[in-house]
Amino acid sequence: MNLDEELRAALRREDPSPGFANRVVARAQAQPAGQPFGFRLFGVRMMWATAIAAMLVLGTSGVFEYRQMEAERASRDAVLALRIAADKLNLARDRVLRRTEN
Amino acid sequence: MLTQGIAAALPKLKTGEMTDDPEQFAELVREHQAMVFSMACRYLRNRALAEEIAQDVFLQLYRKLPSLESPDHVLHWLRWVTAHRLIDHSRHEKRRPQSPLEDAPEPAAVSAEGADPLLASMLRDLVAALPENARVVMILRYQEDLDPMDIAKALDMPIATVKSHLQRSLALLRDKLSRTKGVGI
Repeated sequence: MNLDEELRAALRREDPSPGFANRVVARAQAQPAGQPFGFRLFGVRMMWATAIAAMLVLGTSGVFEYRQMEAERASRDAVLALRIAADKLNLARDRVLRRTEN
Repeated sequence: MLTQGIAAALPKLKTGEMTDDPEQFAELVREHQAMVFSMACRYLRNRALAEEIAQDVFLQLYRKLPSLESPDHVLHWLRWVTAHRLIDHSRHEKRRPQSPLEDAPEPAAVSAEGADPLLASMLRDLVAALPENARVVMILRYQEDLDPMDIAKALDMPIATVKSHLQRSLALLRDKLSRTKGVGI
């Protein structure tokens, strides 16, 4: 027995049941990916454009939000610094007044 | 090999127009259905499951068609996708028990006179009991008549690995068959 030949005979191609191609075509047409290629390409491009636009909007609003928070914090720091300076000046003025009275 | 159907379909492959023409696509499916279905059938030993997987492969082809550039590209792509889908199926789905060939039952005795359906069925059972990669290599070698170099290309596998799978699988098959009364190799 020639094993190679026996294997070739045993593993030779065979056809699927009749109507296989028609069943595949029916399934292909039923799925959304069966739309014309141009339409699919348009869909893919639209998806990318939407994703990029969303990223730009999110990125821009994020930067704007960050800058606003920074400005508010700087303004709070400035007010605090002024209050500290005013307290020190008041303290110095009180001391000067007390010495002049003495 | 350029057959008439696929050659006729070639000019439309790049533009994706085949996906708009059901008859062209059906022709392409008829062109390759025996190869894809037989690979699945030999691998799984289950016609219903083989047909299901073959249909899935062709649906994937339908989506992929616009990017395939030639009949050879289609053929290579179909072999690659079918082989990997079958390997993935048996690894992940676990629908069929995986048992090493050493554990497979001894085949029934057959007459040694020429090709006979019982021997063919026994060989199909033994091939189907091989490990996943070895099984696909054997199917591509003996169903598709590919040489080890082409199998290595089709599966993205080193050629030494392909040769090793072939040698080991053939040795196992010979061993199994030689233990069977009446089959001399």
